[in-house]
Amino acid sequence: ENISDFSLNITDCTQVVVPEEVFFTVAAVGILENLLVLIAVIRNKNLHLPMYFFICSLAISDMLGSLYKTLENIFIILCKMGYLTRRGDFEKKLDDAMDSMFILSLLGSIFSLLAIAADRYITIFYALRYHNIMTLRRALVILAIIWTFCAGSSIAIALFSYEVATVIPFTILFPLMMFFILCLYVHMFLLARSHAKKIAALPTSAVHQRTNMKGAITLTIFLGVFLCCWAPFVLHILLARFCPHNPYCACYMSIFHVNGTLIMCNAIIDPMIYAFRSPELRSTFKKMFCCTR
Amino acid sequence: MSAPRLVSNRTSQQALSNSDYTWEYEYYEYGPVSFEGLKAHKYSIVIGFWVGLAVFVIFMFFVLTLLTKTGAPHQDNTEPSEKRFRMNSFVADFGRPLESERVFSHQIAEESRSLFHFCINEVEHLDKGKQSHRGMGLESNTHFQEVPRSSGRFEEDLNCLTKFNIPNFVNTEQNSSLGEDELLISERPIILESKSVMQSSHRILD
Repeated sequence: ENISDFSLNITDCTQVVVPEEVFFTVAAVGILENLLVLIAVIRNKNLHLPMYFFICSLAISDMLGSLYKTLENIFIILCKMGYLTRRGDFEKKLDDAMDSMFILSLLGSIFSLLAIAADRYITIFYALRYHNIMTLRRALVILAIIWTFCAGSSIAIALFSYEVATVIPFTILFPLMMFFILCLYVHMFLLARSHAKKIAALPTSAVHQRTNMKGAITLTIFLGVFLCCWAPFVLHILLARFCPHNPYCACYMSIFHVNGTLIMCNAIIDPMIYAFRSPELRSTFKKMFCCTR
Repeated sequence: MSAPRLVSNRTSQQALSNSDYTWEYEYYEYGPVSFEGLKAHKYSIVIGFWVGLAVFVIFMFFVLTLLTKTGAPHQDNTEPSEKRFRMNSFVADFGRPLESERVFSHQIAEESRSLFHFCINEVEHLDKGKQSHRGMGLESNTHFQEVPRSSGRFEEDLNCLTKFNIPNFVNTEQNSSLGEDELLISERPIILESKSVMQSSHRILD
């Protein structure tokens, strides 16, 4: 895929290429997994709850991300084979559309994770009023608002990507959301820990220290996965904006395809840590597969 | 990608001319970049970034585990909630012998690894032959999982909440608002169906 030839003159960081088979496999697995989550939630009436709707929203944004990468690769292949011209208007529009799809996926992921964290937070700290605060209708309204906002911003960012003004908020949004989600989960974690201590104080119980370790591990996994999968790409965008000619930055940018693959890996890992931890969803899966056999 | 277009707009001589847009998947042009005279290793940003990320995640993990071992900021609220908790455990079953009360409280302690109050229905009083065990968005303090519940019983849940005495393990902030709820003594004693309870607690602890 190295189109311009003159870059080989200087000893440099060549573009790290991810084999297409790996790319397509990762993307396909991601799409399938998230599709399964969606189907399971739609089919099982027990799962028509705000919490699962937010998980579905996350699944949709993950699917969009993987779909984007797959389509992009397909278009590269078509381009190489000569079916598509490189300078056409149609291709440009297609490229714009795909860019906005990717940004939509990123924003959708961030906001879905935020919604999931907020929903869990409300479930814990406003437990008795949870049903009144988070009704099904409200959850759907929240999702509609989130996706409208994401769609609008993604189109705006894709159209005006040459302005600095779009890149900065985009890259600030990411750490901000991360930090907010971290605060929510840490607060929940603190409560869980104090709760465990109270239980340990009871005469009839025996709480192991292990259980709190598991909580720490779970939290670290949530936030670590999100960070490790998205941060490399966000850094790439920042560097591409501010120091494209710097050799160090250029070397970082040469691993762009690896960063893209990481994002697709995030699409594979997210259902495992959010959706599949629910026993109800797992049993729905088992029923689905057992019926088809 | 927005990234390649930015770069190609800046580095290529044609400013914003659409007709010169080329659909390249190189993401940047190497031409102007010179790799001579580098002081540090050329992949230093990559290495630095990943090392920093790993350090941050490990640091976060250690902070969380340290929080496990040190004192809780919620401990000033321990006493009133403990009293509330004990009252909740024992208040419902007046007619039962002491043993079953202990069993009740023991089972409550077991289940209360989750953060939420259970709304436990007794078989004879609701549906003959139907065992229903529900929690409200249950999440354990160890795993962020959920105990299944049927959404069709939404109204029943609400009724359940108002009528039953719900041991509330959650709250440290809304003490006043929960006072009335906790003192509600249900007319129907709460009898635990041990099988469903054990199943659910196993699911949570799983």
